[in-house]
Amino acid sequence: MSELAVRVDRVSKTFRMYRERNQTLKSAIMRGRTSVHDTFLALDDVTFDVPVGSTFGLIGSNGSGKSTLLKCLAHIYSPSAGSIVATGRVAAMLEVGSGFHSELSGRENIFLNGSILGMSKKELTIKFDEIVDFSGVEQFIDQPVKNYSSGMYVRLGFAIAINVNPDILVVDEVLAVGDAEFQAKCKVKFEDYRMAGKTVILVSHDLHSVRTMCDQAAWLSHGKLIEVGVAHSVVAAYRKSLPSPAVGD
Amino acid sequence: MNLTMREIRGKYRRTIFGQLWSLANPLALMLIYTVVFGFILRIEPGKGDPSGLDSFALWLLCGLLPWTFFATVLSQGVGSLVGNQNLIQKVYFPRILLPLSLVGSSVYNWLFEMVVLLIALTILGSFVLPWLPLLLVIMMLLAVFATGIALLVSVANVFFRDTQYFLSIILQIWFLLTPVIYPVSLVKTTSDSAGGLLGTPVIFIDIYQLNPLVHFVEVFRNLLYDNRWPETADWVWCMGASAVSISLGLLVFRRNERLLAESL
Repeated sequence: MSELAVRVDRVSKTFRMYRERNQTLKSAIMRGRTSVHDTFLALDDVTFDVPVGSTFGLIGSNGSGKSTLLKCLAHIYSPSAGSIVATGRVAAMLEVGSGFHSELSGRENIFLNGSILGMSKKELTIKFDEIVDFSGVEQFIDQPVKNYSSGMYVRLGFAIAINVNPDILVVDEVLAVGDAEFQAKCKVKFEDYRMAGKTVILVSHDLHSVRTMCDQAAWLSHGKLIEVGVAHSVVAAYRKSLPSPAVGD
Repeated sequence: MNLTMREIRGKYRRTIFGQLWSLANPLALMLIYTVVFGFILRIEPGKGDPSGLDSFALWLLCGLLPWTFFATVLSQGVGSLVGNQNLIQKVYFPRILLPLSLVGSSVYNWLFEMVVLLIALTILGSFVLPWLPLLLVIMMLLAVFATGIALLVSVANVFFRDTQYFLSIILQIWFLLTPVIYPVSLVKTTSDSAGGLLGTPVIFIDIYQLNPLVHFVEVFRNLLYDNRWPETADWVWCMGASAVSISLGLLVFRRNERLLAESL
C-alpha cells in the first residue's frame, strides 16, 4: 500500500456512564466524590490504516462507535489508549453550521466559521466567491443567518467546511443534507477531492453510497473492528449480518 | 482574532446606541456611587498629588473602570467554555481561544472607556499624557491577571457548575475589599487605631494588602488621578500577581483542555 494518511493504532476510548452525577462542589466536598460511574468501552482496540488519496468509509449500526472514532480523528476526544497519527491538515465536518453567530450576516459568518476551521483571512478572501457560489445563498449573503431557512443554513456551513481544503477530510453523515441538487454537487466535490489525491474519511448509513464512493471501508460493531478492507466486500459482509429486508439500497 | 470580532460585533447588534452602551454601565455606577459615597457618606479621597485634581467622580472612575473590566472578564469568562458547548463538541480548534476572545472583546470595551476617561481627565486639568506608556503597561498587567483567573474559573465551571454562582458572590465581596469607592488611607487609619489583631502584631491593613487588586487600583490612581510615579512595591505586587495568575491559569487549562469535550 502507498503512503499512509492516517494510522489508527490500537485505539480504545472509554466513557464514564454515570449512575449518579452531581457536579456540584457540595457533593465533592461532603462526600469526596462527584459521581458514581461505570466505564463503557466505546472503542475497543481498533487498528487500521488509511492510505493517502483513498476514500474511506466507516459503517456499522447505531452506537457502534463510528462517531466516537471520528471525534478522536478530529482531535475532539483524545483516545484513552493507543494513538492516531495523521499526516497533513485534518478538517472535520461533524455538524454543519456549528459556531454560526445568528445575529451576524452570512458573509461575516463565512469569515468567522472559516477561521475557526483553521483558514487564514487571505485564504478565505480568495475562496469567498467559491463558498458563496457552492452554497447557493448569494442573494441572502448579507442577511443575518438567523433568517436563513434550515436548508440554507446547512448549505452555507457545508460550503465553508468543504472549502477548507484539508489533506484529510473527516465527514459524519452530512451527505444527507440539502436537496437532491445540492447532494449531487457534494458528490462532485468529493470526486474532485479524490482526484486531487486527498483523503476522505466518512461515516454513512447509506450503504449504497459507501460502496460506490469509497475504496476502503471498516465495519465497527460495539466498539470493535469487525472487518476492514475493500469497500465492496466489507459492505457485503455487513449487509449479510443484518436481518435481510431491513436495509435496501 | 475572528472570535473576538464575533463577540464585539454580535454584542451591540440591533441596539440604537451601539458601542455607547459600554459606557452606560460605568456612568450609571459613577453617578450612584458619587451621590452615595461622595455626597451622602462624604468620603474624601483628597486632592490629587501633585495634579491638584479634586473630583470624587473622576477619582472614582480611575479605580472603577479597571475594576469593572476585571469583573467583566471573570463573570463572562466563567461561562465561556460551558456556553460554547456545541462548538467544543463539534469542531476542533485551540480551546483557549474561547476565553481569550472574551478577554479580547472586554479589553476593546475597556480601551474605549479609558479613552473617554482620559479625555475627561485632560479637560479637567490632569496632565496625564506623559504617563500614557506606563498606563498601557499596567493595563496590560491587569488584563494578564484577569485572563489567568478567567482561565481557571472557566475550567472549574466545566467540572463544577456552581463556580459561576460562587463567583458572583466572590466578586461582590472582592469589590468591597478593593479600594474603589473609598481610599486606602481610610483603611490605614482605621486599622492603625484598631491595633494588632488577636494580640498579634499583624494589623488589618497587612491582610488587606494581600489583595492584588488593591495594588492595581493604587497604580491606576497614581498614574491617572495623581499623575505621579507609583510605589515600587505596588508595581512588584502587580507583576507578581499577573505572573502567578497567568501561569497557574495556563497550566490548569493545558491539563484539562483534552477532557473538555467529553466533560461538558
